[in-house]
Amino acid sequence: MLDGCPSTYLITFWRCVMSTKDDALLKELTLEEYKYGFTTDIEMDIAPKGLTEDTVRLISAKKNEPEWLLEWRLKALQHFLKMDMPTWQNFENPDVDFQDISYYAAPKAKPKLNSLDEVDPELLSTFAKLGIPLDEQKVLAGVVAVDAVFDSVSVKTTFREKLKEQGVIFSSFGEAVQEHPELIRQYLGTVVPQTDNVYAALNSAVFSDGSFVYIPKGVRCPMELSTYFRINAENTGQFERTLIIADEGAYVSYLEGCTAPMRDENQMHAAVVELIALKDAEIKYSTVQNWYPGDKDGKGGIYNFVTKRGICKGDHSKISWTQVETGSAITWKYPGVILKGDHSVGEFYSVALTRNKQVADTGTKMIHLGKNTRSKIISKGISAGVSHNSYRGLVKIGPGADNSRNFTQCDSLLIGDRCGAHTFPYIESRNKTAKLEHEATTSKIGEDQLFYLTQRGIDPEKAVGLIVNGYAKEVLNQLPMEFAVEAQKLLAISLEGSVG
Amino acid sequence: MLDEAATDTMITQISDSLYTHLIKTYDGNLPSAGLHSLDEIRTQAFERFKSMGFPTVKQEDWKYTNVQPLIGQRYSLDTEMPSGTPALDKALIPKLDAHRIVLVNGRYSSELSTDEEIPGLQIMPIEQAFDRLCFAKYFAAYADKTDNPFVALNTASFTSGLFIEVGKSRQLQKPIHIIHVAATDKPLFTQTRNLYVMGAFAEAEIIESFITEDGAEHNLNNQVSEIVLRENAKLQHYYLQVAGPQSNYLNHTEVHQEKHSLYNNYNCSFPGAAFVRNNINVQMGDSEVESHLYGIALTAGNQLVDNHTIVDHIKPHCESYEWYKNITQDTSTAVFNGKIFVRLDAQKTNAFQQNNNMLIGEKSAIYTKPQLEIFADDVKCSHGCTIGQFDNEALFYLRARGISEAQARVLLVHAFAFDVTSRFLNAAVREYVEHLVEEGL
Repeated sequence: MLDGCPSTYLITFWRCVMSTKDDALLKELTLEEYKYGFTTDIEMDIAPKGLTEDTVRLISAKKNEPEWLLEWRLKALQHFLKMDMPTWQNFENPDVDFQDISYYAAPKAKPKLNSLDEVDPELLSTFAKLGIPLDEQKVLAGVVAVDAVFDSVSVKTTFREKLKEQGVIFSSFGEAVQEHPELIRQYLGTVVPQTDNVYAALNSAVFSDGSFVYIPKGVRCPMELSTYFRINAENTGQFERTLIIADEGAYVSYLEGCTAPMRDENQMHAAVVELIALKDAEIKYSTVQNWYPGDKDGKGGIYNFVTKRGICKGDHSKISWTQVETGSAITWKYPGVILKGDHSVGEFYSVALTRNKQVADTGTKMIHLGKNTRSKIISKGISAGVSHNSYRGLVKIGPGADNSRNFTQCDSLLIGDRCGAHTFPYIESRNKTAKLEHEATTSKIGEDQLFYLTQRGIDPEKAVGLIVNGYAKEVLNQLPMEFAVEAQKLLAISLEGSVG
Repeated sequence: MLDEAATDTMITQISDSLYTHLIKTYDGNLPSAGLHSLDEIRTQAFERFKSMGFPTVKQEDWKYTNVQPLIGQRYSLDTEMPSGTPALDKALIPKLDAHRIVLVNGRYSSELSTDEEIPGLQIMPIEQAFDRLCFAKYFAAYADKTDNPFVALNTASFTSGLFIEVGKSRQLQKPIHIIHVAATDKPLFTQTRNLYVMGAFAEAEIIESFITEDGAEHNLNNQVSEIVLRENAKLQHYYLQVAGPQSNYLNHTEVHQEKHSLYNNYNCSFPGAAFVRNNINVQMGDSEVESHLYGIALTAGNQLVDNHTIVDHIKPHCESYEWYKNITQDTSTAVFNGKIFVRLDAQKTNAFQQNNNMLIGEKSAIYTKPQLEIFADDVKCSHGCTIGQFDNEALFYLRARGISEAQARVLLVHAFAFDVTSRFLNAAVREYVEHLVEEGL
């Protein structure tokens, strides 16, 4: 049945329309055209719209999954159907019709590919446009191994052989289910259970692909691993699942990037990311999220409802989240760390930039359970236009978390007088030896700083870019080099037109 | 005073849960002096309460504060004066010269109060104020806009309370000391409603103490105070919570400030009352308004002290300053939730909030949520929050100088509290509170 409905799409080439300059400082925002707003003409396998048990069975069958995984999915579906939509968020929850989404979209099935030449050239050109060094020729010059997820299916994983030599498993989730079912079975859903929240339940039921990483004992992953997500097809949601396991003493740095075409309707992205760090292991997870944010009237855009959580299972382990959020109509995510092992460390660095009618409700959760655990939260929000940017975080110290330590800093920068910045920190301590600090400030761009820069011949727009980059530096510094440069540019582009 | 017919309907029925009891006994036949408008406000508030019900921990504002065990108990609603005169010595503040007002279970006691005629000052039981102009204007005008079900319940069925009006340009020489006494020989639920109106350019100081009579039965007090400050008015307002473990409090304070006014609240809780929930909401209704909220909560035993504050910057050029300190001992819990709203166009706002906590008890807990919601850009807002313990180095420093550990701890807590206590303008109250802090350790 699926093969009967291939869809084709026209390629609309992206054109960069420079925003016209406005005279008044801090006036109405003009939109820098979304750079990644092209669609790709590729034959797709798309499941019919709707969510039933059959949908789940169909996805599972398509992926040729073992019985236990199908049952796991069905259990999640049962939970999902029972759950209500949350109401605590600081924005109007969009009315999502879960029956009006197609839960599976894949580039049309072809025999298994052996080399890059066999990949659909259209697909390759899409990734070329995105600037991913997918082409192995190019990749050889770089240092990044890429797993590209196109709509719901992982297209190509580069550098696999080289990683294999070290025992590192880096593959699409679907492949991992076939090749390493024991690992998947052991760890899937242990950090984000199916019942965690409504979107996690949905994802658990219908996730179609994603990335899987396993770093064996004592291995320091020789290169940065990277996934590129792209939603292409219309009326589809993207539900990928990432599972990263760092065995004892291992280290991995993982990057993800996201883009989507410009469409008038909203599309949903409900991913789940689970990180597991065993004894002495370290995972560094960086995100540059640039989903299509919708146009300046708030039409279209991606709903980015993601559940990300890591667990420092063993002693002396460390998980660090870094995120740069510039896209999506609504961003709603709280990458968290459960600090279970003694002496484990959790970190969260975030820059969230919203403009036009974007909404970002993001933050982190640090759950201290082990002794001598430490966590650090640096969150920088920048709101422009009529957007709203919220920091929502939880720091929880359990009764057994002796001598644990937390430091939180969340700053908000306001550009324009119609935007909002909000802070909702929850701080809970049940241990008499724990020390927690939290500080937050909100202010607008310093006029003295602007004056200083413009007085030296820098135009106001560049000056704002400079100030914002300086403001976000603490977080950007955490990103791997290549990403830091990209993120800096992204911030500058996103701010274009924010000031007159 | 309450007429006979009204009291009859409230005959003790301790067999029902509080909710059913309240619903059953509510018949609209409450003191309203035949005022149609008040009857209507009460009926509407009762409908609101019925639709909301008592809050549960699923509600954000009550997340850490479970009222269910409290309201699950049986209470009498009969607030008749107990026989005998309760002792007031627990509430007396040495060196304080003040007009004393005593409310026993929310009822004004003329024999215990100092009854003096002060020009420009009106103090009376609230039911005698129903026909006053400013009662009609301000009663339920602000507090009932919030979604606290206990306010709706209070509006619907309060039975007693206090009305204070300080006339235009009157500056009171002596503070008003209000003593709330809980004295009952059966489990009691009281609902007190206060309205304080500060006329333009008026200045006053109100000190409220909460005490429990020795040997009193379990009691729950739902009190709502509405405070209005007219232009240029100044009010220093102290809450001194020194009640006994039988007493439980749900206190809601709603402050509405007009131009150039100043409101200072000093909210102190000490070991004793099992359950204390304070809601202090300050609405800055006009520009150039200033408010300071200071709080100190020293908890012990199995106490729960929950302070929720809202500072609402509605108009530009306002300034707020908030500093709360909690010290939890034993198995007690302290909750702090401070909200600061800066509304659209409330430019040039200066808002500061700080919450420091000392978690001392082995099994005590601190839950805090300093919250900012900002809709204007030309503002300076910041908040800070810390949770910590005794500084070991400081302890060592003191002990090395021959100060015993217990004494050193007292000194350090004293220093910790000093940021707040040093802001007290009334020296007698400051000394009294500092003494209570030492005593409470």
